[in-house]
Amino acid sequence: MKNTYIPFQMKVKKIYTESPDRTLKTFDLSYINEEDKFDFLPGQFCEFSILGKGESPFGIASSPTEEDILKFTVNRTGSVTNEIHYLQEGDIVGIRGPLGNWYPVEKFKGQDVVIIGGGFAFTTLRSLLVYMLENRKDYGKITVIYGARNPDLFIYKDEIKEWEKRDDLTLHLTIDNPVKGWNKLTGFVPTVTKEVSFDPTSWCVVCGPPIMIKYTLPVLTEIGFPDEKIYTSLERRMKCGIGKCGRCNIGSKYICIDGPVFSYEEIKKIPEAL
Amino acid sequence: MIQNLRTEVKKLLKDKKVDIVIGWEKGSLPLSSTPLFIHKEEDVDRLIFDETCRNNLTTYLTKDKRKLGKTYDKVGIIVKGCDARSIVLYSIEQQIKRENIVIIGVPCNGVLEKKKILQKTENEEILELKIDGKNVHLKGRDFDLSIPLNEVLCDSCLTCRYPDAPVHDIFIGKPRKEIDIKDEYKKVTDFEKKSSEERWEYIKEEYSKCIRCYACRNVCPACYCNECFVDQNDPQWIGKTPEVTDSIIFHLIRNLHVAGRCVDCGACVSACPVDLDLRIMNKKVEKEIKERFDYTAGLDINEKPAMASYCENEKQDFIMG
Amino acid sequence: MIKIKKSEFSEFIKNLQKNYSVFAPVTDGKATAFKKIKSADDINNKILNTKRSPKEIFFPQSEVLFQYTERGMEVPKREEKPFAIWGMRNCDTKSLLMLDNVFGEAHQMPKKDMYKDPYWKEKYDNCLVFNLACNEPLSTCFCNWFGGGPFDKTGSDIFVVETDDSYIFEAVSDKGKKFLKEFKTAEEISDKEIKKIEKLKETAESYLAEKQDVSSLFSKTKEIWDEPIWDEIAAKCVNCGACAFVCPTCHCFDVSDEGKGNKGKRIRLWDSCMFAIFTKEASGHNPRSQSTQRVRQRVMHKYNYFMDNYDEHLCTGCGRCVVVCPVNLDIREVIKKILDYKK
Repeated sequence: MKNTYIPFQMKVKKIYTESPDRTLKTFDLSYINEEDKFDFLPGQFCEFSILGKGESPFGIASSPTEEDILKFTVNRTGSVTNEIHYLQEGDIVGIRGPLGNWYPVEKFKGQDVVIIGGGFAFTTLRSLLVYMLENRKDYGKITVIYGARNPDLFIYKDEIKEWEKRDDLTLHLTIDNPVKGWNKLTGFVPTVTKEVSFDPTSWCVVCGPPIMIKYTLPVLTEIGFPDEKIYTSLERRMKCGIGKCGRCNIGSKYICIDGPVFSYEEIKKIPEAL
Repeated sequence: MIQNLRTEVKKLLKDKKVDIVIGWEKGSLPLSSTPLFIHKEEDVDRLIFDETCRNNLTTYLTKDKRKLGKTYDKVGIIVKGCDARSIVLYSIEQQIKRENIVIIGVPCNGVLEKKKILQKTENEEILELKIDGKNVHLKGRDFDLSIPLNEVLCDSCLTCRYPDAPVHDIFIGKPRKEIDIKDEYKKVTDFEKKSSEERWEYIKEEYSKCIRCYACRNVCPACYCNECFVDQNDPQWIGKTPEVTDSIIFHLIRNLHVAGRCVDCGACVSACPVDLDLRIMNKKVEKEIKERFDYTAGLDINEKPAMASYCENEKQDFIMG
Repeated sequence: MIKIKKSEFSEFIKNLQKNYSVFAPVTDGKATAFKKIKSADDINNKILNTKRSPKEIFFPQSEVLFQYTERGMEVPKREEKPFAIWGMRNCDTKSLLMLDNVFGEAHQMPKKDMYKDPYWKEKYDNCLVFNLACNEPLSTCFCNWFGGGPFDKTGSDIFVVETDDSYIFEAVSDKGKKFLKEFKTAEEISDKEIKKIEKLKETAESYLAEKQDVSSLFSKTKEIWDEPIWDEIAAKCVNCGACAFVCPTCHCFDVSDEGKGNKGKRIRLWDSCMFAIFTKEASGHNPRSQSTQRVRQRVMHKYNYFMDNYDEHLCTGCGRCVVVCPVNLDIREVIKKILDYKK
């Protein structure tokens, strides 16, 4: 019997500091044992362990097409994330995964996709975006709205520059309040979503802070997206990641195994979801 | 007495002197009463007061997000002597505004301790309870038992000096007046006479039963921190296991946190699902405070509490070296 | 069905101990619990509901998931024989089936094996459960509300009835059948004794309080989810974990690391949705910050969410929570209140 509570070890390959205030860092981990390598799809998550400190769940930010690494972006808030921020390149960490479900990339095939993200929750959206760009011919028009409080708080800034240059991708960047030198959009994500025009026959994926999700979903309905074509990723405190410990239970669902990805149609049936 | 109490509470509600009254009603088990929150006059007739009214209801004034002391402009609350002393504590510690609380004192003869009763029946279930004066009558499936009330009252009640609310707005019935207790700290002094090994063994044995359900803390009127030190995880001060080393730290730190604040209401003792002797250490700390600072918690709303005041001539023999 | 004389009980337990670690209800100081016994003398067959439920045999309050050193991680080895549990009551044997739903099979996921809990499985799959019939149920017992009963056999391997002079055994599961087959010293029971059991059963059932029809509890709980009735239900709850910790079906847990430098262990510990920190996130945000929300979660999980997933209520009516609740928030009254509620 597989013991899913035991992490396997990975090595910190590269660390990127994402924000000038150093609260956001991205970690590329490389496998130590070839047999630990796993298949996954964008939207899934892992439990990231620092032995002696504990575990925290993070969405996988790398795409399945980036085969040799797993990428996680970590916001420093509590004791485990603090400890993760102290890591140095070459350090060993524990990983359990892949856990949870994924964005329905199979359904997206041949269709237009809108990706809406906010702040440092862009992680699994990066995974999705890189995955679709790697398999570009499989998908129709790709539109991205990405908002952050201020220009410093976008993550993956170097890649954003690359994405902006591409002509097979429409990227809208927005910040909450005007800042000198910012020549892109200004305004909260729900408002910007209302302003940018889309074809509501597209599929839509939303991920961001809970408050952003809460206010963006009704806007999408207003634009005309049907509930079953809107997907989002929910977040709760988690411990086991395998549907036992009860912490992420909402309604009859467990976010760690029934989610974290849910359609708006499903979310409307789950009490406490939003 | 109970009729007068109900009439008074009805009047308070009718005259809009209070928005809510907290009292007790008959519980679902023979030995239990249960808290009653009265918003409407028609619920007043459910009010009771007897020897099963163990809960210190003042805990609801500060607990959790409800904080009835803050949710409502005017709260009426029915109190025994010890309960009223908790309100004094809240007032001193600025958890409530005294003028927002209507304190309704009732004469307390002490409350029953379930544990002691079950010892008498050898853990046989009690199906019926009747109290007349000084005797308790218990009925079970195969027994019928009468015992003197004194033998099954809470330890706290047996050494209680202040059965009447020292602070109150209304008092129903005849006050019992201050009782002269000769050997209030007998259990503590007996305990002190033991060797340190014996004391350690006792404490270890008792606290090893703890299941860390925190019922003691959650019913305690003195425990109203928004986040208890045991719940903090950054840093995590103590382990969360039920192992005795972790449990002891929880209980001993709690003892110190309620030092000079504990009113010996016995709420923790009767809440404990595994019947720990939670009282001995609290009483020991209470005795120390009494001897060193001549302070008794919850008697005087204007007196500075022992742990919040300093005198130059205080004993300092605890300083080692 | 076969029987052993009460005088042979010690011998029976002794034989059982040859192949099993035997757990049974014992009085330990003032508390009662299921503990590993040394001999039959430790057993107290009079205890109806142990204060602590026997779930802790399979799912201890604190359990080491693994130890780690600089050399890697290791799951502690269990050197014990399989477990035999003597004297479980129907409300507890049923709870094991419910917990096996959670820890054993994961219902929804494709890669099932990954979602099995090895710590639960290795103990539960090899254990032998003796279910002792309740000749005299307590006034707080309400097993009959949830399809159980003092003489119900669900969840047991061997069903045992205590008569004035004997213990009568009936095999329930295949495991139980196999065990009883190898049991040569026992004698078959007579028709008279079958009648005796019938009589005992009748008497036991007569002690139970009136059965509450809970067939609409699932739909009703769903209906009232955002009604103000929850404020009324939760008003007196002080949010301690006493109910959850004595409950034979509550199974939420926390995972915590204890260690220094390169050495340490990861343990899991019982936790409860009654505690405010249960859902409090590192950012300080707490989706269930209100007491009312937490009480609702516990009630909903028991009588709605679990039913949705596994087709039964996560409650066996053992009544332990009724006994221990420090404010006498009686779950039976909560259920009645919900059933009677009109929008």
